[in-house]
Amino acid sequence: MMNPRFRLTFALFYCSVACLATVVSARSARASDGEFTEIDRVDFERHVAGLLNRLGCSTGACHGSFQGRGGFKLALFGQDPERDYHAITRDSGGRRVDLVDPDRSLILRKAAAIVPHEGGRRIEKNSWEYRVIRSWIAQGARRRPEVGTVKKIDISPSEHVFERSGESIRLRVAVEFEDGSREDVSRFCVFQVKNESVAEIDATGRVVAKDAGSCAVVVSYRGAFAWARVIVPATDDRRDRRVARSKSFLNSDPLLFESENIVDREVAARLRKLRIEPSAPASDSEFLRRISIDAIGSLPSPEDVRAFLADESPNKRSAKVDELLYHPMHADLWASRFCDMTALDVEKLEVRPYLAQAYARVWRDWFRHRIAAGTPYDQIARGVLCATSRGEDDVKKWVEDETKRVSALGRNEPNDFATKPELDLFWMRNSTNGAIAIEPAAELIASSFLGVRIACAQCHRHPFDRWTRRDYRAFANIFAQVRTGRSIEADIAFGGLLERLRARSADGALPPTPAIREVFLSDDGESALADPDTDARLAPRALGGPDLSGRRDIRQAFCDRLVDPANPFFARNFVNRVWAYYFGVGLVDPVDGFSASNPPSNERLLDALAKKFSNDHYDILKLERTILTSRTYSLSSIPNDSNRFDRNDFSHALPRRPAAEAVLDMIADATGKAFDFDGDAPAGSRAIEVATNRPKNEGIARAFRTFGRPDRKTTCECERSNAAAIAQTLYLMTEPAILDRIKTGRLAKLLDSGASDDQAIDELFLATFSRFPSTDEKQAAVEAIERKNDRRAAFVDIFWALLNAREFSMNH
Amino acid sequence: MLGLGSFDRAKSKGFAAIESVAPAQSCGSAILIWLSGGPSTIDMWDPKPHAPESIRGDFTTIASAIPGVRLCEHLPQLARTLDRFTLIRSLTHEITAHDVGSVYIATGNRPSQAIEHPAIGALTARIVGPRSGIPPYIIINQLKDGVIDRAGYLGSAAGAFAIEGSPLRNALRAQGNSLPTDFSLSALGDRERLLKRFDRGLKGLDETDIGSGLSDFQRRAIDILRSDRVRRAIDLSNESPTTLERYGSTELGRGALAARRLIEAGARFVTLGFGGWDTHTANFEALRTNLLPTIDRALSALALDLESRGLLDDTLIYCLGEFGRTPIVNASAGRDHWSRTMSVLLAGGGFRRGYVHGATDDRCSAPTRDACSPDDLAATIVSAFGIDPHAAVASAAGRPIVPFRDGKTIDKLFD
Repeated sequence: MMNPRFRLTFALFYCSVACLATVVSARSARASDGEFTEIDRVDFERHVAGLLNRLGCSTGACHGSFQGRGGFKLALFGQDPERDYHAITRDSGGRRVDLVDPDRSLILRKAAAIVPHEGGRRIEKNSWEYRVIRSWIAQGARRRPEVGTVKKIDISPSEHVFERSGESIRLRVAVEFEDGSREDVSRFCVFQVKNESVAEIDATGRVVAKDAGSCAVVVSYRGAFAWARVIVPATDDRRDRRVARSKSFLNSDPLLFESENIVDREVAARLRKLRIEPSAPASDSEFLRRISIDAIGSLPSPEDVRAFLADESPNKRSAKVDELLYHPMHADLWASRFCDMTALDVEKLEVRPYLAQAYARVWRDWFRHRIAAGTPYDQIARGVLCATSRGEDDVKKWVEDETKRVSALGRNEPNDFATKPELDLFWMRNSTNGAIAIEPAAELIASSFLGVRIACAQCHRHPFDRWTRRDYRAFANIFAQVRTGRSIEADIAFGGLLERLRARSADGALPPTPAIREVFLSDDGESALADPDTDARLAPRALGGPDLSGRRDIRQAFCDRLVDPANPFFARNFVNRVWAYYFGVGLVDPVDGFSASNPPSNERLLDALAKKFSNDHYDILKLERTILTSRTYSLSSIPNDSNRFDRNDFSHALPRRPAAEAVLDMIADATGKAFDFDGDAPAGSRAIEVATNRPKNEGIARAFRTFGRPDRKTTCECERSNAAAIAQTLYLMTEPAILDRIKTGRLAKLLDSGASDDQAIDELFLATFSRFPSTDEKQAAVEAIERKNDRRAAFVDIFWALLNAREFSMNH
Repeated sequence: MLGLGSFDRAKSKGFAAIESVAPAQSCGSAILIWLSGGPSTIDMWDPKPHAPESIRGDFTTIASAIPGVRLCEHLPQLARTLDRFTLIRSLTHEITAHDVGSVYIATGNRPSQAIEHPAIGALTARIVGPRSGIPPYIIINQLKDGVIDRAGYLGSAAGAFAIEGSPLRNALRAQGNSLPTDFSLSALGDRERLLKRFDRGLKGLDETDIGSGLSDFQRRAIDILRSDRVRRAIDLSNESPTTLERYGSTELGRGALAARRLIEAGARFVTLGFGGWDTHTANFEALRTNLLPTIDRALSALALDLESRGLLDDTLIYCLGEFGRTPIVNASAGRDHWSRTMSVLLAGGGFRRGYVHGATDDRCSAPTRDACSPDDLAATIVSAFGIDPHAAVASAAGRPIVPFRDGKTIDKLFD
């Protein structure tokens, strides 16, 4: 394992990266001083530190970095006014401020580039910023401690709907300080728009509407964040054109506006503000294909398509949703999602190497079993996060049971790992002398179960969030009791078992017995992290929560708080992930990017879903049902004239690449021939059933790699990539395993059965595109057959072309 | 805004020129020869003939084409042609484990739990972009699955195309880059025609980013298959016996020849793996009988060949492993892992020829002059391509990431 000191540094590199955006906006942040009224009494913390932050001086790329810059070091984002005050007034021989002749102060001469400054000219001489700092020096360069401590930050208006492009409004930022006073600090803030095609913002907080759409504006004042939303509606003439058009083409779904479904309600509310129409509902075959890929990672068979098209029941879509949510493969899909979330990595599992793949399967089966049994999400999370191997079991009995289980696993026999109450395997990794590495565990748990990336706070206060190093370490300490290996009592019991086995055997020799390991708790406090500032003992705390010590298993206290409906992160993280599974993009994007500076694209929708999810006792299927039976989910991917620009308000479906496993399974479905997983999953299995992150079969491993199945190696970056790549296109065009399946699978059977050209063409279209061919497509196929004198070869061409068309490999 | 999609190479060059971080002339492609296991560079490119035998080792030294610079006696051809090369003797870091060390050198970033950085080749190929008919990033003899050619935060789309098989037996195979034997070019034409007809059905797809992207990929993929450039490049059967002889009858020699042909065919970055350098035992035996003669021949032939074809200015060759080896010879006549000092051999790509950068102490235990880190080396290499090492690129998840936060371009390495 990596040296902890390195890890600390590594995390820093990553985090400092995130500071970039701030620097960029700060660079262009030169406010004109037209409207500026002089401040009577300039305050160091409120004004000077605010300016240093806004001008970019205290960012990680400049004086805010660990080493400072040019001998001048500021706390990152002005987090430590006392230290900064010292740096400015005392360090460097006090040359930075000149009380007698303020204009000679180095801080002003540097900032205005009157003397050479590596960071260039940040302010103009005598600009309002210059005058603020100058006044502060002229007034004695004093600091009133803690006067600038922020209690609350508000941005107003919190939402603004423009009338048309080109309009502008001024955002105002007001801060309530700890001493109760309020002040407009707009001038001292950094503003950033999340989508520059929708709006632009200048350094004074003036937002100018550009193209139609909605986007967030994030403001930061010395590390405190707030955000507002601006909406630029589609222009009226565009709307008129649409109205004119929709008379002849029914290219929208007006019923969405009347739907009671909470997804539809919130999406419709947004679309109304945007003055756009949702696309028309997807056709039945599109819907069937989409829901099959999304819910069970498969294509519908030609028979499924025919039956669904023929079904005249008005409720057939919701009936199909129900059918697929209870399909066994839906549980498989979830097991795979949970394996990603819990970062199942056979190379890190601390088990005998020959058992690693078998353990990976039981890890996966543990989740599969729970989804199939309808276990609520909070209980699943608890079963992972609070796992020990023994629970309350008697140690002697547990040792016997576990020995039997592991033996069965080694012999590839049925075992009851999946029904064990807890997934102790989750903790069997990254340990040193039995103590697990709590920092990676904490980062993984924060990312997976809270949607929060805390790695930055390992080294410094999170640049785009509120977490400090102390928060990070206190959070990691929740897991400091966890040990792996064998506790003393289990070791004694295991020794006893070996004695009994030896005694029982005929020749007095010990029959082959696996050495069992367990996850247990220890209060020796050896792996707990100390307070980063004082080096004192640091109590375990949830992020932003109270001291959790006192419970036998501190993780239990953590889980009590975690699953409490009052905790905003738990349900929101999960519903956001589920949303991302079904819409291709999270409401918060990326899904582990919940932070004070990354607002959701539709916060009301996220809140409504999260609230419903916790009210429904974290029932996963109910949540999925709400989403999948919405009219929003059913919309066509074909945009109409009013909603063409939309990327994050869900007025039409967004075509996307299915997950890597689904791509393979879709190929197997279409060609009618399963892949071989070389013992990673039983014969006839589907790719979604492969548990390991290191498949034995090189072809499968390559396919997974090519289509972006995650390695499950890093904790922080959302690894699964559904991006398209030319390697994928080439893979589909040339992979021998696919070319072979084209020739020998479904097509061979079809032609051998004596199907007519017409029938065979229909069948291939149904098997790949899940629809019948259009006249033009059928014509193209017929021509191809006529042109070639080899009928079979012509059909191979047709099938190949179908599998390589975008309509096949996309979920749309 | 910071997306790679909008990365404009010309603009970045302009920016680079203003900031004077990159040479005026920039290179367009690179060949990385990866000495897996950690080459004993003290026995190769930074010999210490005056050190005690326990450090000096078994070999004597010979003069090279750079006055005053000596190389190991078993590198005669490199010594003769060293004036074409650039030698860095002061690369240093502190990771002595194979995998993590490899990641550090290959990505130019310390390995992190929080983020997986892409290999320099993945990043470069992504930013510089492909030429028609051939993938931009290729690896021959991928020794460690995905360790030195990882796509990291760029996403699998930026990964290397792996070329498998033995170059020595002229049996290289390009998975996915050429048509299988029973798939003719005329069949490809028929199928492409059908594909175009069937691809119109999904209306609206062209308007989406991913849909239009895929359409572009289809076109490029068919170009690659039709041009058959990759397969022709890795087919060495028409090379003259003289050329084959010059590169040497070894996997590395033939691999280097294939790499040159791939670069000529338009590839941007070719990585060539060469294992066997983890010489804990019988270091001198392995170096003398196999490793050094192989590399001596292959590297010098590659540089001269590129030079005679007028490609050396535009193509960077560089050769290194994950770390160097201990100055003190161990009891098994081997050397163990040592990352405080290691040498790197480079040629072409606008690097200063006949220049030795940095130096180590008389025991080769630490750099004494111009110490540089893997981060610096990586920043320098991308700078040679006209890429600003500090300009953010977009991760697959859309986050802006500065590729070499800690790397400083080593200006002295350029003319």
